[in-house]
Amino acid sequence: MTLDRRTFLGTTGLAAAAAVLGEGAWRPARADKPVNFSGWVFKPDTVKDYVDFYNRKHGGQVKYDAVPWATYHPTMETRALSGEIVDVMYCNSANRERWFDNGFIRALDDLPGMDELKKKMAPGNLESAKSRDGSKVVGLPYFTSLFILMYNEPMLQQAGIKVPARTWDELVEHCTKLKRDKVSDTPYLPNWNNSGSGTMPQFLSDSFSEGASVFDAKNHVVADQEPGVARAMERWQKVYRDGLVNPEVLTKTSSTDTHRLFWSGRYAYHTNHSYYLKTIAGEPENSKLAPKKAKMAMYPGNGQTHMFTEWYTINAKTKVLDDGWKFAKFLGGNLNGDWYVQRQWCLIAGLDNAYPEMYDHPEIIQSYDRWVDLKLLREQYKKGKTINAFKEPWFSEWDSKAIAIVHNIIRGTTTVPKGLKELAALQKSLA
Amino acid sequence: MKTRRALSESAVAWLFVAPALLVIGLVVAFPLVYSLWLSFTDVNLLRATGPAVELGALRIPLFRWIGARNYTQVLADPLYWDSLWRTLYFVGAFVAEATVIGFAMALVLNERFPGRPLLRSLLLVPWSLSRIVVGLLWVGILDFEFGALNGLLLRAGLVDSAIAFFKEGWSALNVLVSVYMWNQAPFATLLFLAGMQSISDDLYAAAEVDGAGYWRRLWYVTLPALRPIVFLVLVLATVNGFLMLDLIYVLTMGGPGYDTTTISWHGFKTSFTFFKFGPGTAILYTLTALCLLMTVVYHRLVLARFEPEG
Repeated sequence: MTLDRRTFLGTTGLAAAAAVLGEGAWRPARADKPVNFSGWVFKPDTVKDYVDFYNRKHGGQVKYDAVPWATYHPTMETRALSGEIVDVMYCNSANRERWFDNGFIRALDDLPGMDELKKKMAPGNLESAKSRDGSKVVGLPYFTSLFILMYNEPMLQQAGIKVPARTWDELVEHCTKLKRDKVSDTPYLPNWNNSGSGTMPQFLSDSFSEGASVFDAKNHVVADQEPGVARAMERWQKVYRDGLVNPEVLTKTSSTDTHRLFWSGRYAYHTNHSYYLKTIAGEPENSKLAPKKAKMAMYPGNGQTHMFTEWYTINAKTKVLDDGWKFAKFLGGNLNGDWYVQRQWCLIAGLDNAYPEMYDHPEIIQSYDRWVDLKLLREQYKKGKTINAFKEPWFSEWDSKAIAIVHNIIRGTTTVPKGLKELAALQKSLA
Repeated sequence: MKTRRALSESAVAWLFVAPALLVIGLVVAFPLVYSLWLSFTDVNLLRATGPAVELGALRIPLFRWIGARNYTQVLADPLYWDSLWRTLYFVGAFVAEATVIGFAMALVLNERFPGRPLLRSLLLVPWSLSRIVVGLLWVGILDFEFGALNGLLLRAGLVDSAIAFFKEGWSALNVLVSVYMWNQAPFATLLFLAGMQSISDDLYAAAEVDGAGYWRRLWYVTLPALRPIVFLVLVLATVNGFLMLDLIYVLTMGGPGYDTTTISWHGFKTSFTFFKFGPGTAILYTLTALCLLMTVVYHRLVLARFEPEG
């Protein structure tokens, strides 16, 4: 068959027109105005990918920019001061209430579909999503996390320890034996690092696991009145004094740095945010404890551990509320019915989310199976305990300044009762 | 009939320097004055209460004036004073080390020997590195778990167990001093070296004729001629020492406890973690005052009796 010029032009012209029209018919109408979206730097390429996906599939005009974590919240405030409106923003739990109190972000309750999302959210996360007085939901969940106990299975087996520690006493006993037998110089790696994601969440987790409260119903610090907190702190002093922990963990600058130490396979136990087990047990290129040589055990004591959530928020001055809300639902809800963004974070970074029904998704089950016992992790989540104190204006400063006091307790430069009294006094001085 | 008036000489001079003055005013004077103002106000970035300066489309909030309250609060905080004494130790140790080692390296590099040009080039490598990189590099050397130095000492049998350089606050603070000195001493060397090369050979020749040996020439010729450079090195090292922040961020985050918290770190945390920009700027302005004070002291000590040639 021969193809003349006229036939060729006619055919290709028709094909091109069909492609253009077809695409136009298939694509949803584009939003009129762009939605500005900012977040702190964490896997920005992943964020760009799903923003592109959203713009393509949902006709959005989302413009994304990432700001370094250390200056993220001040930067967003400065941008607001200069009159810039960022429509959808990440916000960490320690700053969210400040933003809401000052009218920077809006409540979400009146927006379409919010009631349905509230029903799907786990009760602890929903409680955290609410403002201090409990009347408004002010954020959609970016991710949620809690502290878990991880153990190095080959090391325990080598030492003849068949079952990982179920109590804190057992954990100390195992570590003492491992050090004595020269299996490990420092068998325990608690997340006592100097950042906001280290020492204090670990402090809350261990206190909760002892059945203690750190804050009362009015969010006052009552750690000095709780025997369980004192027990946890005495144990911390002992493991530090006995050389069972890496002595430099107090000056590690992030939980990421801390968890990487566990990659070396030189530690028996590690306590940290659940998602770090993904790299420890799931990345053989980085970790000597992958694949799945590091495992999760139920948190010792009563199993309770600190759970927190980070947020997507909407600017109170946004001029594109409908489009911004649609995008926020794509991020922190379930716009398509397939949990697209939440699922991406689970698959890529092991970040958990606030919607239990997502864990029935086959892809999620398969992904978790590569690095953790999902059933056990979900059980642990049932014991996750949230705090409401993070909604208090003083919390951020207390949480940061408390690290030094807790470090002094650990190092024995202050006594447990005196240190715990200092924590309570610090809160009173800031309130 | 109109006559064209010639501009006076001083008017022409002002015209030429005006652009430079404008830029300096915008990027130096304005931020300085504005941040000083902030230290006397109640700053909440999300609620810009109080008056504002309107410059066209630009609105600069002045916030609520609260007098010296930020300063009195800051000075009443024991953490401020602890941080201040620590800062003074840090600056003292750093300035002494950077000056002495910088001077010693300059003396070596001022001599003629094979490989001198290469060594002079390599000298600048630590100084040219970003301090974040410097911090990470030294974590790699000193870390308890995976540090190269500990690995070396253990393999050579010189220690029984790894040394935890960051375990104790005193040790961690001195590590910070040493790492910062490693980073900054090459710049001092560069300045000293430039100074040494501008000293006339005739002076050394005359001293030799008078029977002066190496140490006497160093004491009576080199050091007096380097007074302006010594002054410059001392001032720069002091200011840099007071302001050092990034190494703390990478190496210790001010810990363990508060043991490596200096005034600059305290001010940074107060401003950017606690969002207390009023007290934060007040803390940092006390540093500015200290830097100015030290500059005057150095001027009196080093330059008071110095008479430049010509």
